[in-house]
Amino acid sequence: MKKLFGLILFFAAFASASMIGVDALGEEQIASGSAGAAGRGFAGGAKTGEAEGFVVTNPARIAFDTKVVFNLNFLMDLYSAESHGKSYFTETLSLPSFNLSFPMGDFGALGLSLWQSYSTSLLEDVKDSVSNADAKIEYQGSVYEIIPSYAVRLPFFRGVSLGFSVHIVLGSNMRSLTLGPDNSDVSEDDAWATNNSLLTDYVEGSWEIENHPAYYTGSVMYRGRVASFYFSYTTGHTLLNKLDFDFRFSELDTLVPNRIDRTIDVPAMFATGINYRLARRHNVMADLQWRSWDADIENIGHSYDMPSYTETQSDFVVSVGYQRDGSGLYYDPYWDRISYRAGAWYKNWYIKDVFEMGGSIGAAFPLGKKGTTIDLALQGGKRFSDSKANWEETFMAIRLGLMGIGSWGQTRR
Amino acid sequence: MKKKKVVLLSFLTILALTLSACLFDSDNNALSGWLKDQGLPDSYRVQTLTVDGLLPVSAKTYEGRKVFSASDRALLGAQAGISRDLVLDIAFRDSAFFAELDNADSAISFVALYVFNPFYTADEFPSDSLPYEETLEMNVSWKVERGKSKDFNDSIAKIADSTWHAELEEWEADNSADTTYEISVGAKDSVVTFVLPLAIMEDIKKAGPACRLQIRLSAPNAKHMYRFYGSSNASFATIFRMRTFLDEEYKDKAASPFRMANVLTYNEDCGDCLVLHGGAFDSLVVEFPSKEIMEALAEFYGDDFPFAEGDGFDVRQAVVLAQLTFARDDSGSESELGLPVQVVVGSFIDSMGTELRKMENYKLNRPQVVESGHPNMVFFDGDSLSLQVTLGMRSFINQARNGDNFKMMLRLGFPVLQAKDSTYMNYETAEGDTSFVFLGVFDYNRYDFTSMMNQPATLKLWLATKRGEE
Repeated sequence: MKKLFGLILFFAAFASASMIGVDALGEEQIASGSAGAAGRGFAGGAKTGEAEGFVVTNPARIAFDTKVVFNLNFLMDLYSAESHGKSYFTETLSLPSFNLSFPMGDFGALGLSLWQSYSTSLLEDVKDSVSNADAKIEYQGSVYEIIPSYAVRLPFFRGVSLGFSVHIVLGSNMRSLTLGPDNSDVSEDDAWATNNSLLTDYVEGSWEIENHPAYYTGSVMYRGRVASFYFSYTTGHTLLNKLDFDFRFSELDTLVPNRIDRTIDVPAMFATGINYRLARRHNVMADLQWRSWDADIENIGHSYDMPSYTETQSDFVVSVGYQRDGSGLYYDPYWDRISYRAGAWYKNWYIKDVFEMGGSIGAAFPLGKKGTTIDLALQGGKRFSDSKANWEETFMAIRLGLMGIGSWGQTRR
Repeated sequence: MKKKKVVLLSFLTILALTLSACLFDSDNNALSGWLKDQGLPDSYRVQTLTVDGLLPVSAKTYEGRKVFSASDRALLGAQAGISRDLVLDIAFRDSAFFAELDNADSAISFVALYVFNPFYTADEFPSDSLPYEETLEMNVSWKVERGKSKDFNDSIAKIADSTWHAELEEWEADNSADTTYEISVGAKDSVVTFVLPLAIMEDIKKAGPACRLQIRLSAPNAKHMYRFYGSSNASFATIFRMRTFLDEEYKDKAASPFRMANVLTYNEDCGDCLVLHGGAFDSLVVEFPSKEIMEALAEFYGDDFPFAEGDGFDVRQAVVLAQLTFARDDSGSESELGLPVQVVVGSFIDSMGTELRKMENYKLNRPQVVESGHPNMVFFDGDSLSLQVTLGMRSFINQARNGDNFKMMLRLGFPVLQAKDSTYMNYETAEGDTSFVFLGVFDYNRYDFTSMMNQPATLKLWLATKRGEE
């Protein structure tokens, strides 16, 4: 257990992200970034089964679970940002979510999830004596949500369930830009004063929801023999980011920071999805999430020539996926016990003129008799952008999920 | 099972890194381009701003601490408006001696102090000024406490130095006597002996069998400040010795002081003049008005100063370095050794609502130092004094909304041996010798800042800003 926590801390120290929108909210993790869902292109919010567990867009699903499911997701993101014929490569590691669902039979099911909904992460430097560049930039931010949820099947319509979850928002963010001097505007006699004097433009802040403890998701789901589907609605909310702007000369030698708050109106989200069983153990599925931004996002600006706002657009994700479920019988051949997945998605970012297309393949490898599974997803795609500030990115991602399935509270039949 | 997971994870990581190395490549300065596209710079543009004609709104000197330990060096005499008394703290217990003293035909005592020769024979010391010879008018005062048991001596030893020093500020002698001594300190002299007034022995006689004796030597009209070894030096410890004469036989009792202290007295009162003394902890506190500096910044940036938005803490720009230059005139000041003396600077900054005095850093302008010496010295060529007040200016502009003046402090530091050495620290030369930048002892001088503070000073700021260029 100690080792596991060590591992969690290690991964949490990195945060996944793209270089797009770092001064707005950062990158959003779709469908809580679980490795299972990622393997089928983030589709499958309506898919039920033993090894599905909690999904943020559809809290009603866990009402159909019969076993306790715990999963922990890791993400390794590799991407190359390109613009003006120049490219920039970087990689990040992160822990986008972990989820726990706990079914209680006729009493419904409880779920608890920790989800890094938005994140920024960047640590790069450049030093070039010819162009006089001497900069080190660091972004480290995440909007974390703790999501307790409850779902229950209706008394007479056992194929229908209702789910409700509460999103408690916390997190922090920082931007640190350390710069060396450019003495080209001062006389040679004055250059001595700033030699080796590094300055850091430093901003740090914390996240919460303005005037409210949380925001909420409600969903309804129908599970049929062939087709299952869900609808969910997530309330809009206002994120409050309390920022301290500062100049730092060293860790201990700083100015007194100036406090500026920014608020971000995150609109309500509508999500729906369907799962269709083609044949025994063969499923196709499609999901849609849609959110209409009507206000621009104030940047962590107030410095240099940074724009004050990031323009927004309607933000949606369309995803389609396929999954062949593995056999649950331990004595079947191993290849037959593996679940195979494939999928693709199109995502319109919340940032104007940025969209993303990606595809993925994945598999779930059962380990041992007890129901431990490793989910693996390989993803690739491209983020397109028309704006100057956001460079286009080609990305590859490897997601790994550790899933534990237990049958606590189940009586032997 | 665990092993399998670790192997799988490691394998995937290696695979991913290998793949990425083949697929992607970073351009060296692509980050500069990315920063530019975000509206961020890849270096800060240095700008300088000069504010002329700054006259202090207030300048005031403050006397420092009055009592200093004399365990390393003992001083006696007067120089440059300050006199220093030497106080010896002695405790002894000897019943046989007190019995002898009671019966003695006569008794006498003296103090012997070892001259601090390394100073007087040093190359830096102006050797032509030796020997120091004068008739020293000295006031000797003393306090005697009577004790009995062995515990008495222990209880004296247990009195903390700080307690003793505080007592010395309120010195009330039991008895005193004025006397004169012929004193001569030359390069070859090593000991100076003062025979003490006979009345001391009369008082000691009453004290026994254990006794604490405090002797204060005071020579406020001396022509020099004489330097001796302190009480802690084993080889050259100060000697206090008593001698009895009984039945044509002399008997000696030595009782060296277990600690000594110097008590400092300011002798000159020049009214409103702004005089600082070397080797004393007196300080000059100067305040400059906010208005001129704020106006210059407002004109320079075209923005409102002081800043009033949000919390009102101004982080729109940063002071990378700030330097104040004063017009300097060394006449009217008095140096002992003729060496340049460093001026130490501190600024008063606001830290969480508390005024805090912070000593300033000194950044070297090496080409200038090599050419014309450090700019922060007095008793030196040239007619200006430049002091760096970076920390103070940062805080002052950052919190200008409070409307406070810019407040700084000056103090005289050590004499400088190598005024044009750009290292500003002791170092070992290629030949293996140590190059000393500072003389390790103070010059007991006085410097008059009055004319400097009556003339306008110039503030130069090296600034970096967060403002955009567009």
